[in-house]
Amino acid sequence: MKLWEAFRERAALSGKPRQLSAGPSFAYVFGVVLMFLLVVEGVTGIALATVYSPSTTDAWGSVAYIQDQMPGGWLVRGLHHHGGSAIVIVAGLHLVQTAVAGAYKKPRELVWWLGLGLLALVLAWAVTGYWLRWDQSGFYAAQVELGIAAGTPIFGGLIKGLAIGGNDYGNLTLTRAYAVHVIALPALVATVTYFHITIARRLGPTPLRTAMAPTPYWPVQSVRNAVAIAVTFAVLFIYVISQHGVDLASPADPTSPFDARPLWPFRWLFELRVIAGSAEQFAAMAAPAVFGGFLVSLPFIDKRTERSPAQRKMVLGVFAMLFSVMFSLTLASYASDDNDANLDGRQRKAAALSARARQLAVTNGVPITGPLDVFKTAPMWNARTMFAKTCLGCHGVDSQDRKGPVIGPGHGNRAWLTQFLKTPSGDAYYAHTKLAATEAAMKPVELPAADLADLVELLYSETGASDADTAKVARGAKVFEGACTDCHSRDEGEASTSGPNLHGLGSRDYYTSFIGNPKSPVHMGKDKSQMPAFAREISLVDRDAIAEYLVWLRTATDQDVGALGPL
Amino acid sequence: MAADDPDRRKFLKVTTCALGAGAGLALVIPTLRLIAAPGSATTVTGPSEPLDLGFVDSLRLGAKPKKVEVIAPIVKDAWTAAHNVVLGAAYLTLTDGKVSALSAVCPHLGCAIGWDEKSYLCPCHDSTFGIDGARIKGPAERGLDPLPVTVKDGRLQLTWVRYRAGGSSREPV
Repeated sequence: MKLWEAFRERAALSGKPRQLSAGPSFAYVFGVVLMFLLVVEGVTGIALATVYSPSTTDAWGSVAYIQDQMPGGWLVRGLHHHGGSAIVIVAGLHLVQTAVAGAYKKPRELVWWLGLGLLALVLAWAVTGYWLRWDQSGFYAAQVELGIAAGTPIFGGLIKGLAIGGNDYGNLTLTRAYAVHVIALPALVATVTYFHITIARRLGPTPLRTAMAPTPYWPVQSVRNAVAIAVTFAVLFIYVISQHGVDLASPADPTSPFDARPLWPFRWLFELRVIAGSAEQFAAMAAPAVFGGFLVSLPFIDKRTERSPAQRKMVLGVFAMLFSVMFSLTLASYASDDNDANLDGRQRKAAALSARARQLAVTNGVPITGPLDVFKTAPMWNARTMFAKTCLGCHGVDSQDRKGPVIGPGHGNRAWLTQFLKTPSGDAYYAHTKLAATEAAMKPVELPAADLADLVELLYSETGASDADTAKVARGAKVFEGACTDCHSRDEGEASTSGPNLHGLGSRDYYTSFIGNPKSPVHMGKDKSQMPAFAREISLVDRDAIAEYLVWLRTATDQDVGALGPL
Repeated sequence: MAADDPDRRKFLKVTTCALGAGAGLALVIPTLRLIAAPGSATTVTGPSEPLDLGFVDSLRLGAKPKKVEVIAPIVKDAWTAAHNVVLGAAYLTLTDGKVSALSAVCPHLGCAIGWDEKSYLCPCHDSTFGIDGARIKGPAERGLDPLPVTVKDGRLQLTWVRYRAGGSSREPV
């Protein structure tokens, strides 16, 4: 206690305990709750800044790392995001309270204006924070918001150029938004808050009721503040847990459409823009100007000393009207999204893409070339991409211009081989080739069912699959001798008489070789294949990768292919 | 209700402090946990297998140390994954047909050492080491850190280990 007294003296704290002129009230808790929420933002913000990396290649990856890999990262990120929303809500209530009480009147005009300034700064905080994640939602929010800013008469281009740091969105957009978000805005908010509070305290609270003996602030008002803080934080905490933090869309992709929505405090403007149609630019700027202008000029409009709401119906009526316009536009915006069936489908797709990107980021890491390349770390991505680009035109089941057999899941398995032997010129096989219409086309194999099954097993064993039945393979070899050797050989490297050599059929080496040169004497031969030789176009390494994919396809189903993810 | 009732005042004070402390802890604990987590986590994952340095014959090793870059096929660093990352360098010597490797990281404070005519020299604090890595002159407290090498099918395989800087004993980091 002695130490405390000594400290009080040296810190010049020895003045009288703070007194409340009109008694304690829950009406006075707003400022303290807002201060607490600002501390929440500061503390969680510092923690996030120890991980976050503001560059187009790293921003999304670092946010995904916080969200999905760091212990409690989602919780801290969620507190930071939704804590910002809580500030907007509590500040909004504080504003309504002040307006209803007429507390903007002389001599408190400065406090009112500083408060409005703080609200604007808090909104700017939300806007810049949203960009930093550099996912689809943040990226397109930046596009739209800066597009609107660019429409400002005269200075529009300059504003946009300064905000994004040059002619296009890039690293400087993020470093600048980050500098504003974590250095400039905190400094500004701290300064304005200091004056807002200091002046408000000098003037004292607007008396709520008449005549009451002054009471000490501590603990009667303090306990009310503490209850308000605890309740606010409990609600925030529970909400953050229920949402598992906050969403993160897939990485920013300028080429793919995304249903971007602004943060909730701006949804009314989003809806207004829809209603305004061709006047959207005007609406997006004029509406906030009208609303802000009304709030700023309130002390001039409502100059009388009268503070009773009953005597100020006109001013409060306009105030209520503006608020209800904002409120109904916000509701309308959410309602129109809820009623849009197509939107729901698109949002599900976007969510699946995001889940995919985040899962790949966890298992494989984000390539240093940027977060969009995380999709390329999916299994066999390179092979599947080349296959889609080079092969599916002729071999795709949906292809308009199919020229060869369908290659898809199950290609080369027992069922596929059986069906092929029965109908070599069936639709899924050689029907679309030029060869099918000629005398040289393979004839259907007509054998008793048991012999056919043995032959299939033999051909299946050529793939190198470990589950081939050796007894059946041995019997199949005899069937092959009797029925197939007129046209086909199974000896490595031997050119067959008229049909392809079947050695290693369906194995990785077989596919690599076949793709390289189908016209080779061991494969289709010079005249029988329309398929071009890809030995020059596709490198050996890439052909081997495609071959690996084809081997994988043999045991795969449509679901397995789907599980590899989109390209 | 008497505002100055001592029992009531005490109750209010305790309630205020308890609620404040509760909110404060709920904020600070998850935050500190996030900040502290990387301190004791493996955030950078290098290669777990020996690295291939190429054919021993092609390296043309001799009695004089030869510097080679140690390149990892993939390094995961927090959220990123990078390919062909230079992890550091090693000095290789061939004596009596046997290859040996020394890490180019000074065991004093982690600067990069170089081969200087007859000995290894760390330019940061002038620690000097013999060709076998033995300490000649401090302030380093131990000799250069040897790296395990093996020859497989004629190719040199090196296991990259980073040891804690400082001290006389070798502890892998």
